[in-house]
Amino acid sequence: MAAVDPSVANIAKPNSGQARAGWGLVAPALTLMALILLVPIIVAGVLSFTNYSLGNPGFDWVGVQNYERLFTRSTYEKMFVATFTYVITVVPISVGLGLGAALLVHSLGRIGDIYKTIYFLPVMATLLAMAIAWEFMLHPTIGMVNRALEVACGTWFEALPFFTNGCAEGFPLWLGDRDYAIWVICFIGIWQGFGFNMVLFLAGLTSVHRELYHAAEMDGARSGWERFRLVTWPALGPTTVFVVTISCIRAFQVFDTIEAFWPQGGGPNKSAYVMMFAIFEKGIQQNLIGIGSAITMLFLLFVMFLTVIQRWLVERKVHY
Amino acid sequence: MVLILGTIIVLAPFYMMVSYSLKSPGEIARGEGGFFGRQEMMIDPRCVALRQPGRSDIEAGSARFPGQDDGGVQAALLAETEADCSMRPVVFNYSKAFTEAPLIRYLLNGVIVTMSIFLIQIVVALPAAYALAKLKFWGRDAVFGLVLFCLLIPVHAIALPLYIGLAKLGLTNTYAALVVPWTISVFGIFLMRQFFMTVPDDLIDAARMDGMSELAIVWRVMLPTAIPALLAFAIFSVVAHWNDYFWPRIVVTGNRDLFTPPLGLREFKGDGDGSFFGPMMATATVIVTPLIVAFLLAQRRFIEGITLSGMK
Amino acid sequence: MSDLQIASITKDFGATSVLKGVTLDVKDGEFISLVGPSGCGKSTLLRIIAGLETPTSGNISIGGKDMTQLRAADRNLSMVFQSYALYPHLTVAENIAVPLQMRQMTSLQRLPVLGGILPGARTQKDDIAQAVRHAAEMLEIAALLDRKPGQLSGGQRQRVALGRALVRDPAAFLLDEPLSNLDAKLRVQTRAEIAELHRRLKATFIYVTHDQVEAMTMSDRIAVMMGGEILQCAAPDVIYEDPDDIRVAEFIGSPKINILPLERNAAELTMFDKLLSTRFSIDSPKMMRLALRPEALRLTQSAPRLTGRVMHFENLGSEVFAQVALDSDGSRVTLRAMPAQRQNLGLGAQVGLTFDLSVAMIFDAEGTRLRRAELVATRTPEVA
Repeated sequence: MAAVDPSVANIAKPNSGQARAGWGLVAPALTLMALILLVPIIVAGVLSFTNYSLGNPGFDWVGVQNYERLFTRSTYEKMFVATFTYVITVVPISVGLGLGAALLVHSLGRIGDIYKTIYFLPVMATLLAMAIAWEFMLHPTIGMVNRALEVACGTWFEALPFFTNGCAEGFPLWLGDRDYAIWVICFIGIWQGFGFNMVLFLAGLTSVHRELYHAAEMDGARSGWERFRLVTWPALGPTTVFVVTISCIRAFQVFDTIEAFWPQGGGPNKSAYVMMFAIFEKGIQQNLIGIGSAITMLFLLFVMFLTVIQRWLVERKVHY
Repeated sequence: MVLILGTIIVLAPFYMMVSYSLKSPGEIARGEGGFFGRQEMMIDPRCVALRQPGRSDIEAGSARFPGQDDGGVQAALLAETEADCSMRPVVFNYSKAFTEAPLIRYLLNGVIVTMSIFLIQIVVALPAAYALAKLKFWGRDAVFGLVLFCLLIPVHAIALPLYIGLAKLGLTNTYAALVVPWTISVFGIFLMRQFFMTVPDDLIDAARMDGMSELAIVWRVMLPTAIPALLAFAIFSVVAHWNDYFWPRIVVTGNRDLFTPPLGLREFKGDGDGSFFGPMMATATVIVTPLIVAFLLAQRRFIEGITLSGMK
Repeated sequence: MSDLQIASITKDFGATSVLKGVTLDVKDGEFISLVGPSGCGKSTLLRIIAGLETPTSGNISIGGKDMTQLRAADRNLSMVFQSYALYPHLTVAENIAVPLQMRQMTSLQRLPVLGGILPGARTQKDDIAQAVRHAAEMLEIAALLDRKPGQLSGGQRQRVALGRALVRDPAAFLLDEPLSNLDAKLRVQTRAEIAELHRRLKATFIYVTHDQVEAMTMSDRIAVMMGGEILQCAAPDVIYEDPDDIRVAEFIGSPKINILPLERNAAELTMFDKLLSTRFSIDSPKMMRLALRPEALRLTQSAPRLTGRVMHFENLGSEVFAQVALDSDGSRVTLRAMPAQRQNLGLGAQVGLTFDLSVAMIFDAEGTRLRRAELVATRTPEVA
């Protein structure tokens, strides 16, 4: 804060000068924020109560009809199922893997850096490109995955039910299979995301006081598990909350893989019909702006709710 | 141990992607040839098809192959064509990648778009961050509250209304459409503000005494000190927008010249049949490589950037 | 409780040798301080005793049993860390309970919900709670049991750290500069409390500090360490009055001891060309050093051995310290005087000093103490 020297002339100027400058500097950002972020929300909110389509001169108010549809029609039921399945599967696993990888890498010291790089690569790579690579790997006959699985036929692996069926009748179609499709998407989502979580956890790990580990040792904590429970896990509290929230938000936004694999339809029997894809399909491809807006509003609601919970949890839990 | 297994799974698709970009169609279908493929000369069927010798060619060619009947000449011409059209799979894949679809153009688009986005983001965010961090004015806290609120809004979520707006303005299928929604990076404002708050006030007061206007202060005083944070933000922004697929997919519907790299790749896929897998993998490799190379070179900065942005 | 033996411990970090062969026998119930300047290796030695670091060679035994291969958790020692290292997410009571929980309860019993149902768990918990309470009362923190470390002051946190250490009744307590994070007043008070705690518990305390005042006031024995070796290990008064090495003499005592050059010419001892004694017949080196504590110097008007001007003056109320620049070579000596002599010690005043050779200590040029030389020097009559 600049102290105002009374001996300087123009005492009134500095403050109002600052105020003008302040508003001036903030103005472009403010306008853009309003135009690009806030106005669209309102527009989406309004449009969700209509049956507007792009290109039509006017529209009718249909009240909550769109929302009703969302909660009754089976397509949308699948949408919720797919989205939530994805989020509930991907988030815990990618957070857990991220934590595990971070712990392992951290304990390795310098050598760990190589693994850190490797595990972070999927995060960097264009998801679409990698999705196509994965798609080919999962090709039922010439894909690497099934070919690798076939190698296991004729060995003791065949005793496991999965392999027994697979070796006999051929391994699953993966992306073409209603039961497996969503799990494949989940897998790719985890593959892509856990490196990011790992990096965040690594940062959290480095901020744990080393002497706490010594104290734990003196107190009798012999195994890695005990040290983890006593020192590491509590120290990672805020980090974990953050990682989970970020992962959730990213998980809700999944789109690239779905659209790449099944440009029309969202998976075999719509088993991978996630919210973002639904918005895309209904709103853009089918030009049903009303429903698209309704889905958008719901989506926003989920995301905001999650973030608010994170803030609240951080306030409460971080008590040092 | 566990980490090695993890590595295998993580690297598998990369391995495959690069490997297939080096192989011939036959090798791909049969899954052989190791990582590099045997690099035997292969014959490009399309090239041959395009150069199928017609009647006139045979007549012209008979001069060169004396003593042969038409069938023989045709066969000889075919052999020549095939010789012309044969090349190593690597060359085939990568050259097709660049010729079948304007890959260079796509890459260029990627660069243009990410650079524009980043530059505009800076121009908008830095002054705002400075004002919020260092200047006192009525309503400052309200504005910052608004910034915090906007942090909750993922831009992808409001894609639909944005698209409608752009469509109404006739701006779909333009660079503007690709760039504009990202020009406001609330996250950037937040990050820069946190950083600016650590800059000592004395530095700014000295600049004021020297007669600098507030705007000048932003660019001549704050910018140089913020380079590390800016770098982290740059990495974050460039990576996110280079790889972005959702928004360009919505907004660029007709004009192929505007395709960003992911879109280009997608289009490639839609086009080709199974035998075009080699070139498609080549395209994928080309798209993914710049970021990975940059990452390997600047690893530490990268990861610093992520953690800086994450840990507030 | 039993004896602790440290035998020929060396420790190298890469090319640097931090500990160069340390041997020490600590008796049961003794309070022994490891003192020395930063970097002398005292903290490293403490960590090696604790088991948090492994020595390059040598061994540690407690009660006759070799502990060198055992990990810290198995050595039955307690440590108080310089930063206290309290678990931030646990309350004071829980912090103090951790050592007991780790050692007395199996991992099954420690599980949060299940553990409570197992038979015997209830009595375990009650026993532990009682031990915790007992420790807290001894340290007067019973009122703080439900608070978290973040809500405590530095002094309170230190007591919690102490509580955690003593709740278990270990073979020895290891304390790593526990007072260095406290303010001066608190330090003085806590010093007394720790000394009292030691008397009460009758336990072995190994105390690391760089503050020689702490070492002097609390210990049964002091081990002065420098450069990775123990220079001398003895009771405080012996260290102060009878140091083996000039470095020990310089480190202990505040203000610092005065060192003056001493020359021998055949049987004559001279300092600054002034004759001190004529019948010095020991075969000592030609150049030696004489060490005098500030309180050994006296103001004198007649026949001073040293003369100089007062350059600096510190009035502590109960005593006065004056720095005098010697006329002979400009070097400074510090002298302790009574408050009554203040008027003679104005800045710039020219003063004369003398001393008794019998309270002086003679060291050779390398710093080793020459006790025989002193004996001879004092027996000969002094030359005025």
